[in-house]
Amino acid sequence: MLTVLIIAMVFTNMIFMPSIVMGFIKNAEHQIITYSTGNILVEPVKDEEYITDVDSLLAKVNRVPGVIRASAQYSMGATLKNKAYKIGRPVIAIQPSNERLVTDVSKNMKEGDYLGDGELGQVIIGIQTAGHKDPTEDMGPTLGAVGVGDSVTVEYTNGVVRNYRIKGIIETFSYSADQDVYVTQEEMESVLGHPLDVATHVLVKTEPGVPEAVVKTQILRFGVREQVKTWQDLLEDAMGRAVQNFSMLNSITLIVSLVIAIVVLFIMIMIKTLNSRRQIGVLKAIGIEQGIIINNYLLQVLLLTILGIVLGVVVVEGMVAYLTVFPFKFPDGDITPYVTFSDLASNTVLILVAAMIAGYIPAWQVARMDILTAMRA
Amino acid sequence: MTMIQTKDVTKVYQMGKVQVHALRGVTVTIGKGEFVGIMGASGSGKSTLLHMLGLLDRPSSGSIALSGIDIGVLSDRERARFRLKRLGYVFQDYALVPELNVQENVFLASMVRGTKMLDYLSSTAQILALIGLGDRMAHLHNELSGGEQQRVAIARAIVDHPEILFADEPCANLDTASSRTVLDLFKTINMEREQTIVMVSHEEWHKEYFDRVLTLQDGLIIADTG
Repeated sequence: MLTVLIIAMVFTNMIFMPSIVMGFIKNAEHQIITYSTGNILVEPVKDEEYITDVDSLLAKVNRVPGVIRASAQYSMGATLKNKAYKIGRPVIAIQPSNERLVTDVSKNMKEGDYLGDGELGQVIIGIQTAGHKDPTEDMGPTLGAVGVGDSVTVEYTNGVVRNYRIKGIIETFSYSADQDVYVTQEEMESVLGHPLDVATHVLVKTEPGVPEAVVKTQILRFGVREQVKTWQDLLEDAMGRAVQNFSMLNSITLIVSLVIAIVVLFIMIMIKTLNSRRQIGVLKAIGIEQGIIINNYLLQVLLLTILGIVLGVVVVEGMVAYLTVFPFKFPDGDITPYVTFSDLASNTVLILVAAMIAGYIPAWQVARMDILTAMRA
Repeated sequence: MTMIQTKDVTKVYQMGKVQVHALRGVTVTIGKGEFVGIMGASGSGKSTLLHMLGLLDRPSSGSIALSGIDIGVLSDRERARFRLKRLGYVFQDYALVPELNVQENVFLASMVRGTKMLDYLSSTAQILALIGLGDRMAHLHNELSGGEQQRVAIARAIVDHPEILFADEPCANLDTASSRTVLDLFKTINMEREQTIVMVSHEEWHKEYFDRVLTLQDGLIIADTG
């Protein structure tokens, strides 16, 4: 029973820690797609500041099979002020009707409403810019808990100063998205003093199930000369090193767990076989071959390991179920363990192989002992 | 018909720098259906001789033939098969597999021999009825007395009609009454099945059961009643 429990705990450890790490990565993936970049992000040609002829680009991208919608954004640096509070943030100009189809920011309004097309004099801001009523919840400088209907002063880098009414507060639980500040394209045009025919980037939402890499290729085939990046490319740029480190952490956890499993099973089978030396000697004396005796011990190890794995799966699934209902709270959102069938299958195979190795060596050592030595034990 | 034939069998154990001559040249012939007792004082070489005859150990020199087969030329694997198919063993401490019940202990070797399930279940039931344990088939070893356990061990040894049955002091751990039950069983099997039995013993009163007694002293047969 103890052996089954140890195998179950080893199996749980092999799955659980990596599942939390994967939960972090999946959360980052979800947030980057849902709030920041869409499935694909089009950026200006290298060494250029803006995407020019943006209407033509949007028309091209929207015709690509697999694209649901493309939305242009124009970002401009600004200083936001409320009473004594003053912070620097980029202000993003959007076409709200397009943006609703590309990101889920509009679905995450903590207070107030999302922007409407053509609205002037209004702004929506993320909770990490607006500030919480309880300042301990703020993760950086804010405007001191401004709310819907309050006024905020925005000084753009081109020298234009505007007072905006806050129309809505965004809360996505993505720290990056919760700092964003949005106005309409028309508002930005009034700030710039000319029509907005450029963009700093274009977000593209693709149909579910269509691989982003395929759509990216199609976009390039449609003659888009700007930089086209899938969210995987962006994640690799932004978190590649972190993902590598997580993978290394997972590998270390896996190896340590496997070594524990091998050592425990080795000791268990060694004790069992040493205690059964006389019996093994008798079985060999009767004429039962060494291979059958070894297989018998391996079968025992196999059964114990399978029982341990079954118990481990129950524990893992139980923890996943619990943490799905009561997830870990992190600044960048709720983290739930991410476990796939292939994780369970691959770890099951690994632990079975480890168990077979751990079981075979001591069983072989004792089974090869000569009959009389074994019988005198 | 000759079942066992040995010629000048010796066994020398190396104990550090000292050589111990356990057998010094044993030559003996045992025929089919004989119930032979190997007797002698402790250290006389009787168990060593039984181990050589039962293929549990190899002699240092000399030859042994069982049922006309020179066993000296057999590989370890062939010797294991020979033991499984043609020999039966009863040990001093019964040596039952503790996890198995009476019935399973008896048919364990039959199963490994490749006997069909219906056949070994049937022969197990018959042999357990013969030894008077037909109603204890589902019992574990710790639910049996020493004498009963030894009877189960005998049933295991004879269930598939071995050509030769070897018994190494099978009554050493039994009281006199249980010993008599076991010896009576050996005698019955010997008489009814014409079973060749070679048994090591140091109890003088066991002689009354043997057809023939080989007495060993210092690794040599000093007396043979056959």
